[in-house]
Amino acid sequence: MSRKKSPPPRLRVRGLTRRFGDVDVVKGIDLDLKAGAAVALVGRNGAGKSTVLRCVSAADVPTAGTVELDGVKVEERSPLTRRDMAVVMDDMDFFPDLSVVEHLDLFARAHAVPDAEAVVDAVLHEVRLVPQSGQLPGTLSSGQRRRLALASAFVRPRKLLVLDEPEARLDSAGLEWLVERLRREKADGLGILLASHDASLVEAVADSVLDLDQRS
Amino acid sequence: MSGQGPQLRELRQQIRVWRRGRADKRLVDALSDAYVAVFATAMLTSMAVSVVLNVRTVAGTCTTTPCTDARAALPWLTGLALVAGALAVAGLFGPMLVSPAVGSWLLSTPVDRTALLRPRLAGTGAVAFALAAVVAAGVSALSGFPVEAIAAYGGCVGAACLLAVGLAAVCQARRLRWLRLLTWVLAAAVWAGLVALALDAVPAAAAATGTGWEVALVVAAVLAVATLVRAYADLARLGRDQLAPGGTLVPGLSGALAGLDFALVYDVLVERRWRARSTVRSVRGRGVGGSALAWREVVRLRRSPGVLVVLFAALVLPYLGDSLGLGRADLLLAAATGFLASLGLFSSLRVLSRTPSLVRCLPLTPAAVRSACLSVPSAVLLVWALATEPALQSAAGLAATDAVPLAVAVGVTAVAAVVRWVSGRPPDYQLPLVTSPMGAVPTSLYVSAARGFDVLVLGSAPLLLAPTSTGAAISIALDGIVLAVLLNRP
Repeated sequence: MSRKKSPPPRLRVRGLTRRFGDVDVVKGIDLDLKAGAAVALVGRNGAGKSTVLRCVSAADVPTAGTVELDGVKVEERSPLTRRDMAVVMDDMDFFPDLSVVEHLDLFARAHAVPDAEAVVDAVLHEVRLVPQSGQLPGTLSSGQRRRLALASAFVRPRKLLVLDEPEARLDSAGLEWLVERLRREKADGLGILLASHDASLVEAVADSVLDLDQRS
Repeated sequence: MSGQGPQLRELRQQIRVWRRGRADKRLVDALSDAYVAVFATAMLTSMAVSVVLNVRTVAGTCTTTPCTDARAALPWLTGLALVAGALAVAGLFGPMLVSPAVGSWLLSTPVDRTALLRPRLAGTGAVAFALAAVVAAGVSALSGFPVEAIAAYGGCVGAACLLAVGLAAVCQARRLRWLRLLTWVLAAAVWAGLVALALDAVPAAAAATGTGWEVALVVAAVLAVATLVRAYADLARLGRDQLAPGGTLVPGLSGALAGLDFALVYDVLVERRWRARSTVRSVRGRGVGGSALAWREVVRLRRSPGVLVVLFAALVLPYLGDSLGLGRADLLLAAATGFLASLGLFSSLRVLSRTPSLVRCLPLTPAAVRSACLSVPSAVLLVWALATEPALQSAAGLAATDAVPLAVAVGVTAVAAVVRWVSGRPPDYQLPLVTSPMGAVPTSLYVSAARGFDVLVLGSAPLLLAPTSTGAAISIALDGIVLAVLLNRP
């Protein structure tokens, strides 16, 4: 009887190093993230949390090391990477002339989501942006823009969620919703990699914590 | 300070004292800078005057009907265009505005706002008057006006622009909305004049002559003064919400212009336009994948019909070029017009170019995303180019079989130039810096100023050298290479 080969972890990071000039902002990061699990990156400002996330999502090129999603090397130009990885970073911007609902509708359709309208309506309701659905992004408050950014990750298919301080600018009700939503994502088999300063969010969602302060 | 609240003069004096305390320039440095500025101004002015006088001599010898019509109509069209421009710029910035710092630190205090704003209104009016008068004087010189009439005409147009600034200030203070409509009406009048020129249908009575401008100057000056008096009285009505937006616009635009990053200027203006609109009637999407992006372009066009109106109104320019006898150069004029008039169509490509995070949300290659965003605007621009075909055929004396391929080549060149312009990256300050009168600047700064125009010249050169189907094929091939490189960039 042949032994069945175990599947690769959803996300595998090996020896991730990012150097700016002579400074190693992150060095030799190893990370395995299984489907249905969440890993939180914590650390002081400048510890390299966002740098790790940018390298994982291929928004930045690591100086050394590899990042694999389901055993396949992550590449920014690859449609497969962008199909499977939903990323919400701080640099998220929007089309100035598309309304809230049109942004979500566009993302859902670009990802060929079946019954896109129903999915968009459900997420819009969930993030409490129904009253603002016809509003243009430039007129939203920072908290509403954050919700829209998070909603854009939930209207599309995904295997891995990469979130940079998702709690930023959310009110307490928004934070409760976020915790609940991320737990559901985990239960549905998604992997979650997040960077956060919010201890309650990390405690409620993360299965393991990578403290970048301890590594420096 | 008085017991009734702070006096603006006292605050200004205090601010002046602080600034003097931090001055890092000696008097001799300031005098040296002033010398350079005065010398440069004198040199540029003498060059401009020389050009105007030479062109005036050449224009005086033209005898064809289109040429004499153009010379006769030029002062009217320029005057209207300058007033429309003054209204548009005044409406864009306010015209009354305060910097973000003044908005935060002075407007929140009980200072006399009228005293704060009065010098600004005077300064704005003076700048509008001076610029318009100089340009109008140059144009009237080209039209063969005698010296006294040049001064009267320049003063008249300057006063009309001063009147426009005063009107804009009154409209701002009283929250009146018809300024925009008036701007469009004046722009439409200019366009109608260009159409009349293109059709050789300028009525003889409309010919501007060098007489009667003194009366017009007096009338315009009286109206301008009356409007400015009204505007001064209305300054007290202005609220912070009316003064702040223009003030926040200025730093963004000046920063972009300092870097010669005209695409960033475009971004700032587009952002402001949509922010002012606030909400739209949402339209659900169609299709999946790239076609969903293409459908959004259709929605955008329906949402911004003004962009299409401007593009198709600009069709008059190639026909005008034909009427004025530009010959082959009309091909370059058509391509340049298509390039500049269609920039508003390509806003989504611009947004995606400056925002990689949006592209990362889409499960398509960057080239596929850009191609999808390009499809609808490119099709519109090609239709526009085909509409220039009669003008190109006539202007360049083309065979009927060559005219359509050349029109297509003009359209593709315009598309390639726009894509180059909207997908440009800001100047890279990591590059080696070179010394310039503006200080140390990266070499890419100069490249960014020429962006788009370089591709325009590249694509137009084969058309100008060989206005045949072969030239069109070479032009399309060059544009295709440029587009392939730009669309496939990481």
